[in-house]
Amino acid sequence: MEPTEFDSALGGTELLPHSANSLKFAASRSIEIAAMTESIVNPSKTKLIFQCLPVHMRRRVMSHNCKRLPRRLRKGHLEQLKKSGLPPKQKRPSRKYRRRATNMLDEYNRRQRRHVWLETHIWHAKRFHMIERWGHRIAYRPCDKAFRACYRASSAHCLIQDISYYTPFQIKGSIETIKDMFSSLTSSQCGLGICAKAYLNGNRKGIINLYMPESYPFKFIGRVEFIWISNSSNKELWLFLHPSIAKQVESVLSDIINKPKSDAHHEENEANAIAKKRKIATKYSDIQIKVMAGMYNRFRLTGPRSHAVLVQTLKCLKEIGSFRTNDWLQHIDTEKTQLFLKPKYDYWDSISSVNSPSQLPPGLVIGLVVKDPRLSRPNKRTKAQNKATPTETKSLLNIPPYVSSSPIWDTTLCEIIKEKRITNSQYIEHITKTQLVPGEVYEDDPFLQTIPIVLIQRPGSQDCSYKKIGYGSGWDIIIPSGYGLPFWLTFIMFGARSGGLRETESLAFEMGDSYMPPDSEAGEIEDKRIELELKEKYFKRPPSKRVNYVKLAVPSPFICPWNVLLKEWKNVREEKLFVLRDRDILHNLQNCMELNKKVSEMENSDHCLVPVYIQIIGKGNLTKHAMICIPNKRDISLCEKLMEPHHEDGNTKLRKQKRAEQKILLKRMQKKRIKLRKKKTPIKEANGPKPEGKNKHEPSEYVKAMRELWLPSKIEAVRNVGSREVMGYLSQGAFSYSEAKSCGVGYVTFNAITKLLECGLNKVLVRNTTSRKYRLANIQIIK
Amino acid sequence: MGDENIAKKKDQRNPKRLPNKKYAIKKRLPLRPVEGENVIFVTKKTNFKAQLEKCCDLLSKGEKEIILHGLGAAIQRCCNLALQLELLFSGTCQIEVNTGTVDLIDDLEPLTDDVDFGAQVRHSSSVHIRIFRNAVLGANK
Repeated sequence: MEPTEFDSALGGTELLPHSANSLKFAASRSIEIAAMTESIVNPSKTKLIFQCLPVHMRRRVMSHNCKRLPRRLRKGHLEQLKKSGLPPKQKRPSRKYRRRATNMLDEYNRRQRRHVWLETHIWHAKRFHMIERWGHRIAYRPCDKAFRACYRASSAHCLIQDISYYTPFQIKGSIETIKDMFSSLTSSQCGLGICAKAYLNGNRKGIINLYMPESYPFKFIGRVEFIWISNSSNKELWLFLHPSIAKQVESVLSDIINKPKSDAHHEENEANAIAKKRKIATKYSDIQIKVMAGMYNRFRLTGPRSHAVLVQTLKCLKEIGSFRTNDWLQHIDTEKTQLFLKPKYDYWDSISSVNSPSQLPPGLVIGLVVKDPRLSRPNKRTKAQNKATPTETKSLLNIPPYVSSSPIWDTTLCEIIKEKRITNSQYIEHITKTQLVPGEVYEDDPFLQTIPIVLIQRPGSQDCSYKKIGYGSGWDIIIPSGYGLPFWLTFIMFGARSGGLRETESLAFEMGDSYMPPDSEAGEIEDKRIELELKEKYFKRPPSKRVNYVKLAVPSPFICPWNVLLKEWKNVREEKLFVLRDRDILHNLQNCMELNKKVSEMENSDHCLVPVYIQIIGKGNLTKHAMICIPNKRDISLCEKLMEPHHEDGNTKLRKQKRAEQKILLKRMQKKRIKLRKKKTPIKEANGPKPEGKNKHEPSEYVKAMRELWLPSKIEAVRNVGSREVMGYLSQGAFSYSEAKSCGVGYVTFNAITKLLECGLNKVLVRNTTSRKYRLANIQIIK
Repeated sequence: MGDENIAKKKDQRNPKRLPNKKYAIKKRLPLRPVEGENVIFVTKKTNFKAQLEKCCDLLSKGEKEIILHGLGAAIQRCCNLALQLELLFSGTCQIEVNTGTVDLIDDLEPLTDDVDFGAQVRHSSSVHIRIFRNAVLGANK
């Protein structure tokens, strides 16, 4: 008989214990448990080696060309490949490649003729998308798709950008005349003047808004950074101009100096005018302006760690010592011009343990003389760390008067430095020859010349209610030409992350700054360029995939029609506009916004745009050219459902008709061609001579007409096209990492703000160009 | 409601802080004590829940101690955070509180051309809380 039961209590054979010891139970299975946890913690890898690399180390066709992998992984990679069959052997390089110029320098010089290259161009060209802008070839964005990484660098680490394309202007002359000259170009309402006491001693950099002569508030040129430099004899003014405005400023300044304005004194009698003319002609003649393009390199370091990067890179000279043999040091008369090496060394040492540049005096200028940066370069890329010693508040409060002086502003010295610079090959040759112990660096080697540099601090955000304090703070470093790359590489090796022009744009956006305002010439050109780009992109799409902007009631989706908008908000004829920069009025406006008060009247308010910062409430993402609208009183409570109603597109039929006609025409042409071919007459003769001078890339009449039907180019009304009144547009809009919200920078008309506040509202509606949905947003004035 | 609060704040602004009408006050970042993985600066803006979770993560991942710094108006939030942590890790964590004063620097930015930059020192109270695991749990590890 077979036992049916297992347990002895039920008649089976097996005797079971009454209790189980859990510890014993677990212990006997410990191996299995360990195996399971092991497999959870380290799951067996199914990926190949090159697939496991972090994003920034991945390269194209890595599996085929093992040299694109880091060396330590190559062996394992080849082992893996053996299993799946080795890739075909690399082909012999093409004949064209083998025959390319041996002297690349000549080739590079040829390519530089059209657009100026920066000193770090070749380094950037390998890693960045390069674009042509403002007569330069500029790095736009890194190839490694690191948008967020660049933001992180600017907020927590160090972002570095090459902005050597900024053009320095040297202006010599007495302070009085310079002040007089700039009084017509600037206004005291925008902020401090160029000759303010705060800037004259040269310890701080200043920023002014430049306008065309005697035309404030219209005809804005741009924001300009300046430093006063006190040489041994007299003072000099150095302007640093963005390349988009450099030409304009140069012509304006030279106009003022060369052509004294006589028409300003029309009302006076002639004799007096002639006398005055003579007087004025001599008035500005002692001012000399020199454009120093390409004289200096300028790098922009942003983020709290930028100070640590600088401290690690720059090894200050304590005393002249063995460096006395340096050519440029011999050239300057050390007795006449003092270098203040020792006190500067001490000052730099005292502020070296600061956590962030925003803890230092705003706009601080420091001139230093440093050793060759190649000496301090680490072997591996490392993150620069601060020293842990606490800083004394005393050294942060006061700026010693000697700190800002620097020999770098003497242009003959810069030329000597450039001439005597040690190239990389010379450097390596020298080091291998003289270095007895490998890895040890002899810092006080007189063979490598010392370099004067200037550091300029940027304070970043100083208003905690607007942006977090210190965001966007950093240093600008000015280096004599020829030494750009050695410094750049050392900064990179100390953990600075490189960015391009896109980062400049996004930084301005994150800071809530307006980048390229629409009332300047540079801004207009930039807007037009963006419009053209977006239009191209739009018309490349097939018609079924195009957004029909007429149906959405968006008259101009690719450019903000400021003039039309201003005209509609107040019936004025003149097409001129300006952006409000008057500090007091902006301050008042912000106050009125917060307290829901009414705004007082202002001069020129019909032509005035006010810069605003928009923060969306709740869901939604803002994009460029989105419309800012005035809400009705009820909208604020039921905004969730607020949609723009569908609009009728009157052009649909026309387009269909036109398309049909074109089809018929094309068919007729085809038939004609076939007939001609049968007759064997060449087609060209039959058609007659082609109209000359026609661009191949220019679209045909039909295409142009169709585009016009899709997107009417003549805009007459924008204000009341939608169901809500348009008050302005966003010039930049995106998700802002610093606010963790979708934000935008834009402009609204002054009259619209008055109306908004009269209704007792301080919120606005925003609608994207491609959407019917209105979203509620907070509005703030940018000061 | 919110508007009223702001209005009140504007009126109550301390006149002592603004010594002269020719200046505007700009704030600088305060000097920081030693930074590290386990040092957390509590601010008014950071999400409370997120910081609590960060602390929990640090503590449960085997960090021996974490240090919380709070300055000025953030002191209350800092204390709250520490107390929450004490509740969550009840029995396994201890708290040590220190208070102090931090020197802050304000910049006086000139509003007219005839004055120079200035700076003034302001004092602010601060709290430094050390949260450390008890020995019992350390032995268990």
